[in-house]
Amino acid sequence: MATSKIKLRLNQQQIELIDNTIRSGESNSQDDLVRRALREFAKANLPQPEKDK
Amino acid sequence: MTSTERKLLQELIIQPGTGKALELRRGQILRIAQTTGRQCADFNCFNLHDYKEFFHTGRTRHLHGMHPTKRDFLWSAPPRERPMMAIIEDTVGTNDVLYPRCSAFLFEHQYGLAVHTNCHDIQAEAQREYGLTPDDVHDSFNFFMHTGVAPDGHPYIAKNMAKAGDYVELLALMDVLAIPNVCGADVMMTSNFELKPLKLSVFDAADSDWAEVNEPPRLKNQRNPEMFKIKDIKADRELYKDASYKPDFTNVPIEISEIEIELSDEEKGWLSQLAATGKYGESDAEVLRYVFHSWWIDKFMRGPKHVPKG
Repeated sequence: MATSKIKLRLNQQQIELIDNTIRSGESNSQDDLVRRALREFAKANLPQPEKDK
Repeated sequence: MTSTERKLLQELIIQPGTGKALELRRGQILRIAQTTGRQCADFNCFNLHDYKEFFHTGRTRHLHGMHPTKRDFLWSAPPRERPMMAIIEDTVGTNDVLYPRCSAFLFEHQYGLAVHTNCHDIQAEAQREYGLTPDDVHDSFNFFMHTGVAPDGHPYIAKNMAKAGDYVELLALMDVLAIPNVCGADVMMTSNFELKPLKLSVFDAADSDWAEVNEPPRLKNQRNPEMFKIKDIKADRELYKDASYKPDFTNVPIEISEIEIELSDEEKGWLSQLAATGKYGESDAEVLRYVFHSWWIDKFMRGPKHVPKG
């Protein structure tokens, strides 16, 4: 599967927020949490294919 | 067994152009009631044992919106940020924390009236009974003041809706000096162009009154002077440099790191579509950062959200 890499620029406080969220059990990794955010944000804000509606 | 009976401790009428400073202990209730109706009551509130902790319209507006009402709190200013009083009854629901107090300047500037009743001076005169100065008056909670914001962003004052007998009740969550005043604005819409007396009553709360209070947060960042680097109140007017001062800001230096996020073709496609809207940032990385933080706010942040959806 083809992939793309995005370099997210975050400061130590923003990373703390991510790590706290992971520790609370919401995700397994930084990468996974950010991709979950993208998936859920896109679903809420982009037009969905007819089958997903 | 829980009590439902209140004990009346004090009752008084405040006349137009006046206000009254009242000591309330934790667990006492201040009722501010209309006599004939249509009267705004401006209000200041201080920690009775430390006047540097006082009511803050900004934090209250942030947490409860521009028209706080029953079950909302009156918060103290940062860095204290404690609920000072709880609104346990509000029979009208048209309160305001948007407008500042009216002042002598305002009436002179806008109306050419150099000597005029105004909430700042009324508050200052009532607070003087406790040694506070005109500089200590803070932005007011405006009970019964009916306001809104026009589409052009400017606030406006609408007709006062309070009828005779309407009231608000405030339960003290700490010992406070509470200062209600009859708003002095008779040439504004605030009290429908007429100044009327207000009735004040102080009660010992019944147990059942506490049922109207939501559980407030208790956090380590609700700070007190024991936690300040300078613990004493500055007592002179001149500002001068402390030669021994060494900056000690929180979490400084702010350091940027890069986190590499690996996206599938489908995920990259979503990101490109979001970027194409032009709403979320210039680069893919900026868009992804926007997406993450606004998603997190929507999903996990406590309190009112400050980022619109979409």
